[in-house]
Amino acid sequence: MKEKILTLPNPFGGDLELYKNTWGKSGEPLSIVSGLQGDHLNGMFLNSHLTQFLDSIVEGLHPHYTLTGQVQTFPVVNANSVRSGSRLWPLDGMNMDLAFPGNPDGETAESIASTIWQHTRDSFWGIILQSAPPHYEDAPHIQVYKPDGRVKKMCTDLRIETVRRQKESSTQKVNLFHQWQDISSVILSAGSPRTINPQQCETLFQGILNFMKAEGILKDHRNKKPDSKTKARIYKSDEEISVRTTTAGMFLKEVKVGSHLKQGQKIGEVRDIYSGKRLEEVTAPEDGLLVTLRQYPIVYEKEPMAIILTAKKSWREYLPF
Amino acid sequence: MPVQTQCILSVKSPLGPPIEILKHVFPAQSNKPRVSFVTGLHGDELEGLYICHRLMRYLKELKTTYPNAIQGEINIYPAVNPQALENSTRLWPFFSLDINRTFGPGQSPSLAVETSQTLLDDLQSSSDIVIDFHSSNLHLMELPQIRIIKDFEKKLLPLAKKSNVDLIWVHPNADIFESTLGFNLNRSKIPTLVIEIGICHRIHQSMGDQIFNGMLSLLHHTGTLNITPPSEKIIEPRQVQPDQVAMVQASHSGLFIKQVEIGQTLEKGDKLGKLIDPVTGNVLEEIVTPCPGLLFTLREHPLTHKGSPLVRIAKSVGEQ
Ligand SMILES: [Zn+2]
Repeated sequence: MKEKILTLPNPFGGDLELYKNTWGKSGEPLSIVSGLQGDHLNGMFLNSHLTQFLDSIVEGLHPHYTLTGQVQTFPVVNANSVRSGSRLWPLDGMNMDLAFPGNPDGETAESIASTIWQHTRDSFWGIILQSAPPHYEDAPHIQVYKPDGRVKKMCTDLRIETVRRQKESSTQKVNLFHQWQDISSVILSAGSPRTINPQQCETLFQGILNFMKAEGILKDHRNKKPDSKTKARIYKSDEEISVRTTTAGMFLKEVKVGSHLKQGQKIGEVRDIYSGKRLEEVTAPEDGLLVTLRQYPIVYEKEPMAIILTAKKSWREYLPF
Repeated sequence: MPVQTQCILSVKSPLGPPIEILKHVFPAQSNKPRVSFVTGLHGDELEGLYICHRLMRYLKELKTTYPNAIQGEINIYPAVNPQALENSTRLWPFFSLDINRTFGPGQSPSLAVETSQTLLDDLQSSSDIVIDFHSSNLHLMELPQIRIIKDFEKKLLPLAKKSNVDLIWVHPNADIFESTLGFNLNRSKIPTLVIEIGICHRIHQSMGDQIFNGMLSLLHHTGTLNITPPSEKIIEPRQVQPDQVAMVQASHSGLFIKQVEIGQTLEKGDKLGKLIDPVTGNVLEEIVTPCPGLLFTLREHPLTHKGSPLVRIAKSVGEQ
């Protein structure tokens, strides 16, 4: 069911409208939010794919599945920035994910934030869908803060291999994710802003499907055993290495995000824009998983070109499947 | 010793000339408090650039006329977000990022975070007091004022009172401040005043001159300058707590046509302006002041959405 949850008048007509989709009986739902930034299109695409899928189950077009729990999705949060084709709404220049928990009587961003918070605060699970920061591409992965047993179980059930444990930051208290600290919640990140990568979205879609089946939100009548080969690994923030430029120019990448790099392996090179000369070779300082890669080729000095998740600690935290 | 210009950060750029953050150091004759002035964190806020310009001219002249006047080191950082300033944008355009939301721990690695960390480190190592100049955003005009987070009131209030601002507003902390330069300096026990003046994209010379005089008064108060400021009397600022501030917000979306000017003293029921519908020609709302007081924030950008602030009023005594 598509439901309008907020209408804000526009001075020139064409109201700003915020929607949520709901499936299943009442109860503590799974909330899935995308479009916090106007250019995070992978999440919006994934949410639309999920809508099609859940609609078809409810309509009885998927004989293998029955919906036994409740799911609600919020495909577009920063509607103004989506309309303007940009990451942020040009009129306020505000990062929507720094506006939580918001204020119902406040300005546009605060009012939107408050609406999303009010509609998700009683959820049992929460998932935020996002892309990499501007100029980067993320391999599909899970982000968590201090993961407790419930969140670890979520990671297990999602069956997505890579889990990054984020540091607490000076901006986190105004993020949606932080408001959800009493809800079992994760962030799923994949791809680049401004683009849709169907393959990466499919990885996350399968993850959400795995999760819904494992948690009993969705019943699969075929009783298929999940593929037990996938193992998730939680990387702590001190296991992340950012590989930075020492020159500036044009960065030409030679690897794919999500690949495993060997120490010394070439990630790409920086060339001078005018002469075409190679200024530096960017290489992996250690073995590891390339979770984030520079996508936009124009680069300044001191910019990260890659984030590698290493196994430099002797211990490994694997989640059992 | 002459003025020294230092480059605190230099970043090679893809097209040649590097991005550089400069600071001018006016060396001291003794070890009185070191005061640093920062401006340009938001690239479209220009009022502080004018104040720093006046300070630099004044201090350079002082070096020749009264060589012993500078008793504590004075540092001026005249343009700390060079790319945003070049483009006259609040955000660092290459990243669409507000650099004044990147201070403090735990931020993901980026050039912006590297930059804010370098600036924070430099200020911490060379300042006993910091002044961070800001203008308002695109929408609102602000009377020269200092907003102080309650936790830092004890240290900041005496300094703020010497700064020749019209208003000091003491308010509780909000989570959003935790990633700002001012908050992080204050938390590291370096008293930092965030002075808000005017509006972005403009220089209001009279406001700038007022704060320039305030800064000389402050430098004299701290002993950093040992000569009496050449100026007229310093304003006794209005001091307000949150319950002494009335905000009027738009209850419709439209164009705001103001009928008042910043700094006016208002009576209850005075007309503030009207909200008009640009498409139909209707008047959506006549806005009047809910209480008497000093008008210290005024909407300048007419395009208004429901919930947008239109004015803020420091309530007259007896109205709280
Ligand atoms: Zn500012």
